[in-house]
Amino acid sequence: MRLAIDVFQTLLLIAMAPLVRGVIARVKAIIQRRQGASIWRPYVDLLKLYRKQDLVPPTVSPVFRFAPVVLFVVTLIGAAFVPVLQNSSLLGIAGDFILLVYLLAIGRFFLLLGAMDSGSSFAGMGASREALVSTLSELPLLLALSAVSILARSMTLAGIVQSNLRHGLFQLSAIHVLAFGALALVALAETGRIPVDNPTSHLELTMIHEGMILEYSGTSLALIEWAAAIKLTLVIALLGGIFCPWGMVSTLSIAALAFAVIIFAVKVAVAILAIAVIESSVAKLRMYLVPDFLGVASALAILAVVFTALTR
Amino acid sequence: MIQIAFNSFLLALLSVPVMTLICRKRKGLDALPSILLILSLVLGTAVSGVSLWRGDWLGLDLSQVMRFPFALSVDRLSAFFLLLICGSGVPVAIFSTSYIERNYAGAKRYWIETLMPVFLLSMMLVVTASTAFAFLFGWELMTLFSAGLILVDGDSDARRHNIFIYLLMMHAGAAAVIASYLLFLPHSGSLDFATMRAAVSTMPNGLRTAIFLLSFVGFGTKAGLIPFHIWLPKSYPIAPSPISALMSAAMSKTAVYGFIRFAFDFLGCGQQWWGYLALTAGAITGLLGIVFALAEHDVKRLLAYSSVENIGIIYLGLGSSLVFQANNSPGWATLALTAALLHSLNHSLFKSALFLGAGAISDATGTLDMEQLGGLFNRMRGTGIILLIACCSVIGLPLFNGFVGEWLLFRSFLAGSELPGMFGAVVLPLMAGVLGLIGGVAATCYAKFFGVAFLGRPRSAEAENAVEVPSSMRWGMAIPAGVCILIGLVPSLALRPLGALAQGILQSSSMPESAASIAHTLPIVAGCVAVVLAIVAGLRRVKRVTPTWACGMPGLNGRMQYSSTAFSKPLRKAFTKVYKPERVVETQFEQEPYFAKAISYRAGRTASFEKSLYRPAVDAVISMSNRIGKLQTGNIQVYLLYIFLALVALLFFMRFA
Repeated sequence: MRLAIDVFQTLLLIAMAPLVRGVIARVKAIIQRRQGASIWRPYVDLLKLYRKQDLVPPTVSPVFRFAPVVLFVVTLIGAAFVPVLQNSSLLGIAGDFILLVYLLAIGRFFLLLGAMDSGSSFAGMGASREALVSTLSELPLLLALSAVSILARSMTLAGIVQSNLRHGLFQLSAIHVLAFGALALVALAETGRIPVDNPTSHLELTMIHEGMILEYSGTSLALIEWAAAIKLTLVIALLGGIFCPWGMVSTLSIAALAFAVIIFAVKVAVAILAIAVIESSVAKLRMYLVPDFLGVASALAILAVVFTALTR
Repeated sequence: MIQIAFNSFLLALLSVPVMTLICRKRKGLDALPSILLILSLVLGTAVSGVSLWRGDWLGLDLSQVMRFPFALSVDRLSAFFLLLICGSGVPVAIFSTSYIERNYAGAKRYWIETLMPVFLLSMMLVVTASTAFAFLFGWELMTLFSAGLILVDGDSDARRHNIFIYLLMMHAGAAAVIASYLLFLPHSGSLDFATMRAAVSTMPNGLRTAIFLLSFVGFGTKAGLIPFHIWLPKSYPIAPSPISALMSAAMSKTAVYGFIRFAFDFLGCGQQWWGYLALTAGAITGLLGIVFALAEHDVKRLLAYSSVENIGIIYLGLGSSLVFQANNSPGWATLALTAALLHSLNHSLFKSALFLGAGAISDATGTLDMEQLGGLFNRMRGTGIILLIACCSVIGLPLFNGFVGEWLLFRSFLAGSELPGMFGAVVLPLMAGVLGLIGGVAATCYAKFFGVAFLGRPRSAEAENAVEVPSSMRWGMAIPAGVCILIGLVPSLALRPLGALAQGILQSSSMPESAASIAHTLPIVAGCVAVVLAIVAGLRRVKRVTPTWACGMPGLNGRMQYSSTAFSKPLRKAFTKVYKPERVVETQFEQEPYFAKAISYRAGRTASFEKSLYRPAVDAVISMSNRIGKLQTGNIQVYLLYIFLALVALLFFMRFA
């Protein structure tokens, strides 16, 4: 039964990912007083892209078409690491959060290579900027996760979640607040949202992620888009699981499972609302201010780690 | 049995240079020395592998034959480093068979073929020596042979200057190593390793600290710790590529061996601050090394700085092991030491593949300047795939070997939160962030290397016309790359013997249970990835070839791609404080100020340890000598005066003291 829920939550994460994107776009549209597209639009887009041909530049190597596959696969596997509906995951193993961070790095590395393979200056530009963001977000990401892991005295995501489940909402410490702040900033940067990157921008000189995947089309683009959506949902689920784990399945019953699904939907809805409000109200940062943005995240994460030693 | 194999291996290796000289003029026997070299190295790999796995003890005492105490003995630690040297020697020797033939002719070729086996032998002597004399003998030969091998490639003024810096730094380091041996003497009857080990317990603390500091500096110089690293980016890039591979994969590890031998084996780990010293040095070396590597656009200079970074990671492991051992948590100390040893092994593997790959690139295109390369993957498929594997390994992606070592390091850093003192509980977990940042910059650095050199369009005619290198060179690179994947997928292959080795060194009983979990985890994850990859790769994907998007304009060419310099620009801008960059734009005008004839742009970093650290020190020494030099007037009356004054001073001394 637990295994069934593990499989279910992983599939749920993968399947609902495009919906999250659709809802974000719709909420943004409502905030901006527009009609907006249907929330199911991303699924239709994926299907459409899947049916189309891959347009491939004549000079590319096999790496170009291999990269989206690698990105998609490691993101799928990454989804199996996150506790969503219950306090365990399909691949819940010691040290899994380090493995998760590095697995996602595989996808990014290959996407950088794919972009540089296309021979387009825009793709190279996008890759170079993506490299900046991902390099500098590595330190706050690992340190913030380390801080909560040290606090929970556990090396697994499930253990961290368990430790927070035992506490009430008001027993969360300053370390949690600091780590949450760091992770939230990193999450915005890593998933390419405003204020670091604008996912709806299609002006060549302002793009980061979109610039990198400029040459991709057809099935390859579908894989990249879906992977990006899964990553966003994964990060939301991870933040929700670590810092607000209440409502997960504790007794194995259908009712409890349904309750957990509803609670998870509420958490995701809150995150979506937050992202939509931020994206509608804040301007994108100048690119050379991104290091400062991530510097704030790093400072928060470092403080979180220092506090773990101070407060034991 | 294994002892016989060991002896015959040494004998075979020793006979290779002789064979080279004998077979020199004989047409049919050309290939014989290289075959003998490869076979003897394979034998050496097997012997040291078995000895490491089973913990057999091997020895060879030549004290009767030589006039000095000269003995070899192979314990587990020596066996591991012997394995590293032989193991990286095999692919290099295979690679060299055609590389040397294609790139060197006549006397140069014989020089390389003669010097390479003795260079290997000198490194083996260092790691198997059991007397100070044998150790220092090998240590010195290692430096001289490698300098000789660098000289084979040419002796222009710039190269001579670089070799001079190399020899100078190596001898400064060797002086520190010799001094650290000599400090044992009053307490230890002889400089036999066993006697030295036994004598440590009677030594005062200050003496132990002095020995530790001297060995730290001496071996740190050889390893390339910042700020002793200045010789490294000067010498690795100018050596013939197989030799660069050996220097990075094997020679730098002899320094790691020496440091472990001194700090862990002889001195028994000592005080806590020793660990923090190594940890700090490792963190600085790792970060600065990779940040400097990022700014390079010469393939071999980039790899050289990346070697500095990897040495930093190894020292992070050694330092955290020393800290744990001093705090009585031998389990975590074992884990950290295992991580350091494993990273040494990993670095040997992927860096030999990468340096050999640099050799293949220069062989195929004649240049190592990344701004001239591009599009090599389609032209050199085999080399491309092998180097992609090596790049994935060096940046520590899961399913490749680099990740296993870095994971163990992360694990030990997080365990630092349980240390009794506040300081350690803050510093060690923060090192996890440092390691993460190093990994992030490394990923960008190698994405730049592979993306610019192998992907996209060729940036020059040389790259356009590149042809794949012969199969023996590809095999030479493929062997280490294959082992990278093997260790990445089945880490227990390396973790079991290395764990046993670390336990032996630290005399601890076991490793923490959770540490081994990575060995069970990775095969599972690899299986999942393989299954999903097979499914996704089977998706319907129809391809249509269309030109790259160029805003609707025709004529996109290789020069319009993002270059290596441009790619690293955002990160270099973020690290401005480290580089202190300078940029010079000079414009020549046809008709001032409107029509520019030529614009030249030059950019570089001004931050350098030579300028900020070594130059002032050298200046101080020179100005001091100048002042002392004034005493030497060359005038005989003045010298007579000196003698007279000395006499008077002595008389006073004898009378009143």
